Amino acid sequence: MRVHPDNLSAIFTPTSVAVIGASTSPEKLGFQILKNIRDAGFKGPIYPVNPKATSILDLRCYPSIAAVDGAPELAVIIVPASTVPATLAACGAKGVKGAIVISGGFSESGPEGEALQRQALEVARDHKIRMVGPNCQGVNNPYHGLCASWPLLTMRGSIAVVSQSGTVAAALMDWAAQEGIGVSALVSMGNRADVDEADLIEYFDGDAQTRAMALYIEGVKNGPRFLAAARRATKPIVVLKPGRTEKGRQAAESHTKSLAGRDEIYQGAFRQFGICRAETLHELYDFSKALAYLRRPPGRKVLFVTSSGGCGVLAADVAAGEGLDVAPLPEAVATQLRSFLPRHFVVNNPLDLTGDATAKLYKDVIAVARGSFDIVTVIFGDPIIGASEVIDRNNPELVVFLGGAEVEREEGRRLHARGVPVFPTPERGMRALAQLARFGKPGERACQ
Amino acid sequence: MTLQVGLGQREGRYLLEPEALALVKAAGLPVIEHRTARSAEEAVSAAGQLGYPVALKVVSREIVHKSDADGVQLDVRDAAAVSAAYRRVMDGAARHHAGARMDGVLVCRMARPGVEVILGLTRDPQFGPALMFGLGGIFVELYRDVAFRLVPISERDATEMIREIKGFPLLLATRGRQARDLATVVRCLLTLSRLAESRAEIDALDLNPVILYDEGCVVVDAKVFLAGGDGRS
Repeated sequence: MRVHPDNLSAIFTPTSVAVIGASTSPEKLGFQILKNIRDAGFKGPIYPVNPKATSILDLRCYPSIAAVDGAPELAVIIVPASTVPATLAACGAKGVKGAIVISGGFSESGPEGEALQRQALEVARDHKIRMVGPNCQGVNNPYHGLCASWPLLTMRGSIAVVSQSGTVAAALMDWAAQEGIGVSALVSMGNRADVDEADLIEYFDGDAQTRAMALYIEGVKNGPRFLAAARRATKPIVVLKPGRTEKGRQAAESHTKSLAGRDEIYQGAFRQFGICRAETLHELYDFSKALAYLRRPPGRKVLFVTSSGGCGVLAADVAAGEGLDVAPLPEAVATQLRSFLPRHFVVNNPLDLTGDATAKLYKDVIAVARGSFDIVTVIFGDPIIGASEVIDRNNPELVVFLGGAEVEREEGRRLHARGVPVFPTPERGMRALAQLARFGKPGERACQ
Repeated sequence: MTLQVGLGQREGRYLLEPEALALVKAAGLPVIEHRTARSAEEAVSAAGQLGYPVALKVVSREIVHKSDADGVQLDVRDAAAVSAAYRRVMDGAARHHAGARMDGVLVCRMARPGVEVILGLTRDPQFGPALMFGLGGIFVELYRDVAFRLVPISERDATEMIREIKGFPLLLATRGRQARDLATVVRCLLTLSRLAESRAEIDALDLNPVILYDEGCVVVDAKVFLAGGDGRS
């Protein structure tokens, strides 16, 4: 049920922001959010609103939203729940078009809060304000210098993070920042009074920076709308939805008041609508990373090139269990490889280059064998200097890097900086590859 | 049957089995041949028309779990046994459900052995009608080896549901045995999908078991719940 189908640009790319409930105390969210918006490099005017302060963080502070000498497009609201409806009304009168309501004390807290939430939603709709929250951890758009959330994270990338849990969203963005791959945006949806996952799937499907969406949801707000949005989406969607057990389902219902529903029906719906399901937080991250940064291989034939025999075995085992085809090396390829590989190497799939492997050896081997496989899994299991040079950035293979200490971290940084995802274990890499083979956007390179 | 796979706890109205079978048959699914009998004599006569062996099941709106109440007698092989089975069914029902209203006994031809599968329809509060497919017996009771899809389903969805269950290899050809008729399961699922769309008053439906053969299948037991008067349809 969409009352005003205008887009969410006021929330993600506002020209100006008011922070209502901005605080002078560094331990308060009203201070941290204001600081994060400033420190993330927001280019437009920032208007702190607090009747008891004249300036916060050297920004002129206003006693009320009405007193602001401009028309903020977005309001970030951190005031007691009971005053939120009136605050939204004042925002509406000022011409605010988007609101992010951080405050808790709404539907998550009982019948009174529920009534307050309904009231807030009505006010927002009356004033044509799109609203994220309430009871949420905000929005972060690193491409717009807008960190209306916490912690301060600014790394730009291609994964849109949409979550019913603020911490889950923050953790994903934090991991992505640590690895240097970043996100395209983060939304903590909170109670989803207005903006929900269906709106956000639609929005991010049309967002130029987003290449895959990572969703943490405990239950969809509106089944048919969610499915319609998923069906229309042209970008991969990965969902982590707990509630496989009765206890998990109950916990979800008490956390976000989500109607968690029967997990097996969700499972069926996800399969039917082409949604990739993650089982763990790590998988939500890994799968989104693979789907955002790699293309779907044209088939399932995978070659393993490794410096670690054990990791080659682990990878091949998981890959085969996931339905990938660990095909033998064609005889002609094997013969060609034997012509330059040391005698003691077992020329097979996995192809173990042993601890003597160098970046050059990887390159030479892949050049010979590449054409006979749909994708190559490159496992760097030692401190291989120049590993990042092995991978073609325009058509990357699936890379696993471990056991390489400082060299691994340096080469991993280089790979991520070039948009090549690196997976930390063979198992995680292969689970991600299996999803890529099913849900990825098609690549151009075909098996010869 | 003791387990209702596609069904949660429901209010609303539960169709008598002859009504449920009639509904399913009218929708186009193959249903076991059956007659309703209101006396031992009628039961014997019905069994004679159907051919032995037969199964007898109590028909009562108040008894859903028939086998818990001695309400099911299987593999009954002659007229004397039918008379005795009729009395056992009625006595058992009277003993377990004192005062329950009896609507007679369903006499069914025994289906020849095959693989037991389950087809079901349920309505999810978020997603609306959903279809279920699974293998019967221990697979569903112990392992809950079932697959769901939302209505309406496509032929591809039906095929994927069948392939998705862990017990799928049991439906394939093995040494000395042909593959089961998966095309007929696909047709049945598509039929149920249309039924769910056209009959919104069906709140839940369980076909458990459906016996699946190398060629064709037959619905042996059907439960249908209609939505109560609370507007849930």
